Amino acid sequence: MSTAEQEAITIRRVTPWWRLLPRDKFALVAACWMVVLFACFLLGPELFGKAATAINLRARNLAPGSLENGWLMILGGDALGRSILARLIVASRNTMTIALTAVILAMLAGGALGMIAGYIGRGVGQIIMRFADVLQSFPSLLLAVVVLYVLEPSVTNLIIVLSITRLPIYLRVTRAEVMEVRERVFVDAARALGGGRFHILRRHITPVVAPTLLTILTVDFSIVMLAESSLSFLGIGIQPPEITWGLMVAQGRNYLSQAWWLAFFPGLAIMLATLSGNILSNWLRIVSDPEQRWRLETVGQDKRKPEKQGQGAGGRTDG
Amino acid sequence: MAKFLGTRVLHSGIALIGLILAVFFLVRLTGDPTDLYLPIDASLETRKEFAHKHGFDRSAVEQFLVFLKDVSQGDLGYSLRKQRPAMELVLEAYPTTLRLAGVAMTLSIALAIVVGSIAAYRPGGVFDRISSMASLAGASAPDFWIAITGILLFAVTFRWLPTSGVGGIEYWVLPIVVLMLRPFGLMVQVVRASMLGALSSAYVKTARAKGVGESAIIFVHALRNAGLSVITVAGDLTVGLINGAVIVETVFGWPGVGKLMIDSVIQRDFPTVQAAVMVTAMAIFLLNIVIDLLYVALDPRIRHQ
Amino acid sequence: MNFKNFSFGKYSNRWLTGAAAVAVVFGMTANLQTVQAQKIVTVVLSEEPEGLDGCNANRSTVGRVAKQNIVETLTAIDPKDGAITPRLATSWTKMSENTWRFELRKGVSFHDGAPFNAETAAKAISRTMDSKLDCETRTKSFGDIKLTTKVVGSHTLDISVNKPAPILPTRMGVVSLSSPNTPLDKLVLNPIGTGPYKFDKWTPGQEIILTRFDGYWGKKPVVEGARYIWRSESTVRAAMVKVGEADIAPNIAVQDATDPTMDFSYPNSETTRLRIDVTRPPLNDKRVRLALNYAFDRDALRGSILSKDIEHATQIVVPSINGHNPALKVRAYDPAKARKLIAEAKAAGVPVDKEIVIIGRTNIYPNGTEAMEAMMAMFQSVGLNVKLRMMEVGSWLKYLTKPYDANRGAILLQAQHDNNNGDAVFSIFNKYACGGAQSSTCDKPMDALISKAATQSGVQRRDAWREVNRIIYEDLAADVWMYHMVGYSRVGSRINFTPSISTNSELHLEEMTFK
Repeated sequence: MSTAEQEAITIRRVTPWWRLLPRDKFALVAACWMVVLFACFLLGPELFGKAATAINLRARNLAPGSLENGWLMILGGDALGRSILARLIVASRNTMTIALTAVILAMLAGGALGMIAGYIGRGVGQIIMRFADVLQSFPSLLLAVVVLYVLEPSVTNLIIVLSITRLPIYLRVTRAEVMEVRERVFVDAARALGGGRFHILRRHITPVVAPTLLTILTVDFSIVMLAESSLSFLGIGIQPPEITWGLMVAQGRNYLSQAWWLAFFPGLAIMLATLSGNILSNWLRIVSDPEQRWRLETVGQDKRKPEKQGQGAGGRTDG
Repeated sequence: MAKFLGTRVLHSGIALIGLILAVFFLVRLTGDPTDLYLPIDASLETRKEFAHKHGFDRSAVEQFLVFLKDVSQGDLGYSLRKQRPAMELVLEAYPTTLRLAGVAMTLSIALAIVVGSIAAYRPGGVFDRISSMASLAGASAPDFWIAITGILLFAVTFRWLPTSGVGGIEYWVLPIVVLMLRPFGLMVQVVRASMLGALSSAYVKTARAKGVGESAIIFVHALRNAGLSVITVAGDLTVGLINGAVIVETVFGWPGVGKLMIDSVIQRDFPTVQAAVMVTAMAIFLLNIVIDLLYVALDPRIRHQ
Repeated sequence: MNFKNFSFGKYSNRWLTGAAAVAVVFGMTANLQTVQAQKIVTVVLSEEPEGLDGCNANRSTVGRVAKQNIVETLTAIDPKDGAITPRLATSWTKMSENTWRFELRKGVSFHDGAPFNAETAAKAISRTMDSKLDCETRTKSFGDIKLTTKVVGSHTLDISVNKPAPILPTRMGVVSLSSPNTPLDKLVLNPIGTGPYKFDKWTPGQEIILTRFDGYWGKKPVVEGARYIWRSESTVRAAMVKVGEADIAPNIAVQDATDPTMDFSYPNSETTRLRIDVTRPPLNDKRVRLALNYAFDRDALRGSILSKDIEHATQIVVPSINGHNPALKVRAYDPAKARKLIAEAKAAGVPVDKEIVIIGRTNIYPNGTEAMEAMMAMFQSVGLNVKLRMMEVGSWLKYLTKPYDANRGAILLQAQHDNNNGDAVFSIFNKYACGGAQSSTCDKPMDALISKAATQSGVQRRDAWREVNRIIYEDLAADVWMYHMVGYSRVGSRINFTPSISTNSELHLEEMTFK
């Protein structure tokens, strides 16, 4: 956080974030959902492992919405009569491990390379950018086949493949933002005051670049899940008897016209995780931005307080 | 400018050669295509004979020397699968891919800029909530699910549209909608995020104080400042489509380069993979050069670095 | 920041250019299709043929379009009982161990006007057998068999083989004959044959058009032409026939075959099994192999994951193939017996706890993955340590064909085999002989019997193959037998067509009529 932002916050009385959260219903619901997912992640396979693999051909493609076969069948049964709900819960661990690790790795590596390319200079920057061109043009399926054929098809290798294919977007976005931000006056000022390169990157540039990267990250979560799903469909990547949401989507693909729920519920799970992640990151952004924080602090009072818009100027000047 | 372009093209050429080398050797790590190409019941002698004829019994380096010799004579090899020149297959498929990508991206960008900007104007407002949720839901939905549900609904139940195939404008509706979901969803988010930053910056306030109208503030002043990341993300999404829109090509029977690439990788049709990568890479490198030029056009300061 | 040189005018210009570009893009493809033209049949396949050369016509993707429609064979195999019937040859006699004489049909000409006679037939056969071309007919059915031809009369042809050829007339049922004007050094995309339809046009990625050949030697078919298109999603193919965009979808998944008025099942000559690697413990013990067979609840998969019309299999060939042994009895599901066999094996020192891996291939047949998951659970429930690994075709092939990895573990390989060529020889050698490319067994006495059977003919041959099938099933127990499979076709309401066992590999337009 820049000094200007800190100053802006101390001027007002700061409401702590946990008191702000209930004021935004969407963010609250999203946070609750995240807690549920985290619980599934921690305990799911231990609690529901048996139920998720118990085959019952009589409950094959059982339609959702009925409690007759027990509450675990509330979301229906899959092609082998296994509880879709139990499978969703169990799959959450693999899913989150793969998707979150892949996007976070991609963001960190892409972000770091992007900062170097955008800030440090032409030679290195050129090499990094052409490297990104090559990565972008290398067919991701071929990469997956090479890695998973030559090495073992393991979760770790899958994460590596997925994060490499997602890396270029973070790299390019970071570089673009850095190129723009570094020309701004406050960076010039910081430079003039003798701030080191690393100091400038960390204190001035990172806070500006981070929100965009986080926005992409939340959407990328679903993109990575669905990419993993298509790999599974082609026979590469996660395969039964392992379970992920992506694999469940891929397995439901052949049944769309007869039993839509096979692919729908895992698809919905991916969607809801993405949505709540996005809502939370937007909320965090508002909370951490002195320019926007008033929107939350004043909820329940006047809807708009335009006179406050003028406050806190100087957070980012452009000249 | 000319110097910039010159070095850029030179660097891209070097990167392209590196890419082709990487593809050539890596693709050969994925196994011998003999078994895939020959019928499952072919005898061991037939297999040996086939591998020998196509050079798969030689080392990758030897194969590369043969490849270089052929390329110098303008021959990029024959597709094992289709028994036709590989480049011909790629060039046949590429117009379809470019058309789909062009139409889907143009519409996505235009729509996303409008929707994202309006959403950013009042974050947390009704429009923002609805547009964010809807666009995100679209972007994170499995695309084949939307595609097939769309066919079952609009072509089978209502009979408003054809199920699939290539033809007049009614054939475009479903594929384009499916193709737009992800770019549109991601772009709305990025436009919104960048606009939020730009709208609260000092120069927008200055413009406001000068009495510039609100719509001009959003679409000219703020948007222009938000432009860099929007263009970058749009570029990345376009790259994704240039590499092929696999689901749309597969489900709707549009013969593009995405399906060609997947089939060729799965079938170990090395010459076709190489030719397809060559063509898509050139398109992608070109696109990235255009994007860098757009940066400069949008933010003249970048030129001075 | 400077935004003075910025105007809306500039933008609106750009928008106009963009709109024009979009219009051009749409306009370029606005060639509205004229489907449903009177007597043209539209067939929606699951994939585009790789090529159409006549010498590849026994590959199913090519054969569905070309075989017996564009290019014809000397003999044909009756799908019902495997009998050999005349096509371009009217009769044949055995001259010696290695040579047969074929009398060819008179008054036949190729689509390009070239006459069909002994000379042009010989030319077509030698092109197919030429090792310069990777003709599937040669690589699939004539691995180590060389054919030589001798023109005896204008319509009399002697065909000799480099080894005894008791079933040459059957083998000739897979050799499709193309025009003598077909290039000898490369495969062609526009086949020229003698069939009732001639190749008209191929728009790559989109469609293939055939039109009726007026100079056909046989009965004039009703269908005037055919348009072939392809969609890889079964749901889409089924939908296209339903709404009338296509007339026939020869191949749809069982779960899409929901309309009894349009959907027909047919035995597709495919046999599914798990190939047991009999060399690796604990699978080298017959009791464990039998236990696997008893632990498999065959009826549970039938009518649920797989079609209700599939048949339990006891051997690699379907009943219509010469050499099928009808005396073999299906091993009924008996988990108690399976547990008992495993206990016996364990008492005898067999490491029954050792891991057994099922190697499956994704998309090998509809719902193949679910079937493997179910079978894994069944094997586990009798106490075997079974794991499942599904893989894509390239990786799976490493396990299917020799040379095998020396460090492999105990493997059950998900496999499917298709033989609609009339005789068990096309299956047995490859799958079970010591020298077979996909064999995991090597039983010396049986090997001798296989070699002998290949040279015999008539009843002796049939009985020899039956005995081989009995040894494989009863003595070796080298497989977990699954099913003789079925396929589903969806046929639109304006067409009369009944799919048969050959529908998987050939689709005869001449048999179709309109309602």
